[in-house]
Amino acid sequence: MKELAQLALDEAVAAGASYADARAVIDDSETLSVQDQRVEGADRRTSRGVGVRVLANGSWGFAATARLDREHVLAAAREAVAVARASATAQRSSVVLAPVDVVSSSWATPYEVDPFTVALSDKLDLLLSATGAAMQTPGLAFAKASADAWRSEKWLVTSEGAELHQLILQLGAGVECVAVGDGEVQTRSFPNSFRGYCGTGGWEDIEALDLAGNAPRYADEAVALLTAPDLPSDVTTIILDGNQLALQIHESVGHALELDRILGYEAAYAGTSFVAPRDAGSLRYGSPLVNLTLDSTTPRALGTYGFDDEGVPAGRHPLVVDGVLRDFLTSRETAGAVSPDARSNGTMRADSWAAIPLIRMTNIHLEPGEGSLEDLIADTDQGVLMTTNRSWSIDDRRVNFQFGCEAAYEIRGGRLGQMYRNSSYTGRTTAFWGSCDAIAGPDEWQVYGTPNCGKGQPSQLARVAHGAAPARFRDVQVGVG
Amino acid sequence: MTQRAGDSRERDALLGEAWMAGLADAGLGLADVESDVAGIEVVIERSAQGLTRFANSQIHQNVWWEDIQAGVRVVTRDGSIGVAGAHTDDPALVRQAARDALEIARLTPPDPEFPGLAPSAGVPESIVDMATAAASPEARAAAVRMALAEIPDEFEGAGAYQTVGAELGVFTTEGQAAYAPTSAAQLTLVVMGDSSSGYAEDGGRSTGAIDPAAAARTAVAKARAGADPVDAPAGDWHVVLEPAATGALVQFLAYLGLGGREYLEGRSFASGRLGHQVVDDKVTIVDDATSADTVGFAVDWEGTPKRRVELIRDGVLSAVVHDRFTGRKAGAESTGHGLPAPNAHGPVAINPLMLPGEDGTIDDLIEGVERGLLVTRFHYTNVVHPVETKITGMTRDGTFLISEGKITHGVRNLRFTESILRALASVERISSETSYASELFFGGSRCPAVRLPSFHFTGTTSFG
Repeated sequence: MKELAQLALDEAVAAGASYADARAVIDDSETLSVQDQRVEGADRRTSRGVGVRVLANGSWGFAATARLDREHVLAAAREAVAVARASATAQRSSVVLAPVDVVSSSWATPYEVDPFTVALSDKLDLLLSATGAAMQTPGLAFAKASADAWRSEKWLVTSEGAELHQLILQLGAGVECVAVGDGEVQTRSFPNSFRGYCGTGGWEDIEALDLAGNAPRYADEAVALLTAPDLPSDVTTIILDGNQLALQIHESVGHALELDRILGYEAAYAGTSFVAPRDAGSLRYGSPLVNLTLDSTTPRALGTYGFDDEGVPAGRHPLVVDGVLRDFLTSRETAGAVSPDARSNGTMRADSWAAIPLIRMTNIHLEPGEGSLEDLIADTDQGVLMTTNRSWSIDDRRVNFQFGCEAAYEIRGGRLGQMYRNSSYTGRTTAFWGSCDAIAGPDEWQVYGTPNCGKGQPSQLARVAHGAAPARFRDVQVGVG
Repeated sequence: MTQRAGDSRERDALLGEAWMAGLADAGLGLADVESDVAGIEVVIERSAQGLTRFANSQIHQNVWWEDIQAGVRVVTRDGSIGVAGAHTDDPALVRQAARDALEIARLTPPDPEFPGLAPSAGVPESIVDMATAAASPEARAAAVRMALAEIPDEFEGAGAYQTVGAELGVFTTEGQAAYAPTSAAQLTLVVMGDSSSGYAEDGGRSTGAIDPAAAARTAVAKARAGADPVDAPAGDWHVVLEPAATGALVQFLAYLGLGGREYLEGRSFASGRLGHQVVDDKVTIVDDATSADTVGFAVDWEGTPKRRVELIRDGVLSAVVHDRFTGRKAGAESTGHGLPAPNAHGPVAINPLMLPGEDGTIDDLIEGVERGLLVTRFHYTNVVHPVETKITGMTRDGTFLISEGKITHGVRNLRFTESILRALASVERISSETSYASELFFGGSRCPAVRLPSFHFTGTTSFG
């Protein structure tokens, strides 16, 4: 495959590209889904192709093909140059790339057991035992379980001389317990919603989840939610569990700090951002407790890799320090908007050979504070604990958000009380993060994978992650609608 | 027109039924050599697409890609199912996918509920425009320049212009050989000023459906009219929803409740309500992939020809859509709404159309509003309560105050949290004019504007 990438690169340069990079990619995936004791789907896919990105006449062009004979790969390279020349006919300023250290290197996800080598029957048994355990709960309508594995092997070559090879192994699994009745559908998911746990690593991480051991508790909660009261409308204190806080970070921090979005590149589709490049160093994003970090090196996190798709090495970069904005998610094209000598912090990723790299979230973490979730609850006189996302929405500048959670629990006098269903909360980004007055400590801090982050046209889905410990926020509107 | 490797764009635009059947044969042939194979389905989906994005009034991303996906589903004699696939034009890899699918089937418990593979059936005539399928990067850039030329210096334009040539072939050992080509084109455009923005879109099966300059003028006019927006308080408002906003309600209603699986599992508002009035009697919604007013294939991913299905007729729930699995469970036939295997979601009405009314233009709808809001489009809409069809989202790119039948001012964006069924329970007017509308996560179709006496907004923000 590397030879195909080199073939495309050479042809693009010969056709007039002033800069070119070519990626040859083999993506293998396996998706297993069961409902109760029925196997609903067992699917393996392989996707192979070559994508060529070029600069010609100062503008970008890209072309990609799944047809891997010499004729079609060469044609794709020439098409990329033709596309770039067409771009230049509606161009105000030429693209300038920030410098990057040119390297030849390789990187691979550490793992013990390759999920693709585990017997299919063993994987299905694990899922069927989880749904079987859940279905012991009287009143449960059905239980679903799933397991996913993704292996991406890619070769990147650039006209600047970089040669990179990566093997990224990602996987996930989870169980969903669904109760239905009286116009209600209530779901509890373990260990998280939207296909459960997701990370980089090996099958040992899935076995450690103990899906079958945990499923009954979540099945019980799903049934209990059917008769629980709706969360009443109120302005109150909320404690967000780490799995919900992960999506709060995702929508109101991660996307908001993508520099391409800030510069208007996504304006017509997913929108822009309330943040401007000049805000670095001055914008108060949250309370002094709030520290947010971009870290594409976090072990076992879903957004971890060796190099981005521009050949920039993974790294750890503070985004918000003591509540004040410090940096953005950047690329070689956009980094210069922050300062003339800025370099990319390595967030450019494409979701396949057929797509251009975009600024994507990698892993964006809320750094831990101190104490336990129990301590947080004990320190709260009145409020609500909310867990596990089930709905999300935010405006096109990443300000006004509304989230729904699978379950909520009353907090009164420092203790958990009754369960609520159909819980939701809403707020505005900086006011919300500014109201954060407690974050639990490192022992409660976990990384949550988000396998379905959408961005761009044509739409791309990235697999990213967020580390968080439960945190408390004051004066939040809950029970919306 | 740019030449690629000596081939003309017209010749490359669609590869044709014979080419796809030839590739599929590599998978189907496994049935001849493996005695435990009861049936095989091979789905070949191929597309060549160009998408030119612009922002800050210049082209900033511009891509073309050609993909070929081969999906193989193998059924063994004991009723086990396996699915595997490859993005490839290589027959050897399609055969390998068939072998992988068989290996999976052999390791998987039998599925007693499997309804069998699609038998031979004719496919409705496809709507395809070869010029659109073969559109060049120069043609896309020219369309973008036409739009940008209409945007004055005090505004910035952003959007995308996409052209698609696609073909779907479904071949089964039961005798089905369904081939459906199609084409599509779409322009979306946001014009942004200092304090406001405006939106327009256009699209359909051909580039001829799109007038880039007219779309740009519409978006500029909205951005101008919305300058210096004022606050509108949250609460229940009399509203006129333009086609893009109406389309979002229709798409979410279809997604949430009009598929056979959620219907059969009691997870839909439709469960047990066939034949009942569910919305205002002015509302009729059909799903019709063969209509010129939608985009998409004339056959589904199981090889069943797509049928026009009346989902809601004069406000009465008349049908849900089925694939082969839910059709069998419901004692009905598939309506041609199956998704690619393996499909744990169930069938989806992916081409819903609200039929136009007889009430004229959007301006005619605005005329009758004493005090209300005009909503151009919604943003980042998501589900709050699936059975109640309650969704939430924001307005964007053109929200206006209506006073005494006239637009008087732009207003800052609002968040809505509303049940679609409640909103459509009383519909005052439906426009007779329609325009192309797409929702962020769904496809597109022509849609009318509607006037509703009440729509529930739950929050405000600080920009227009």
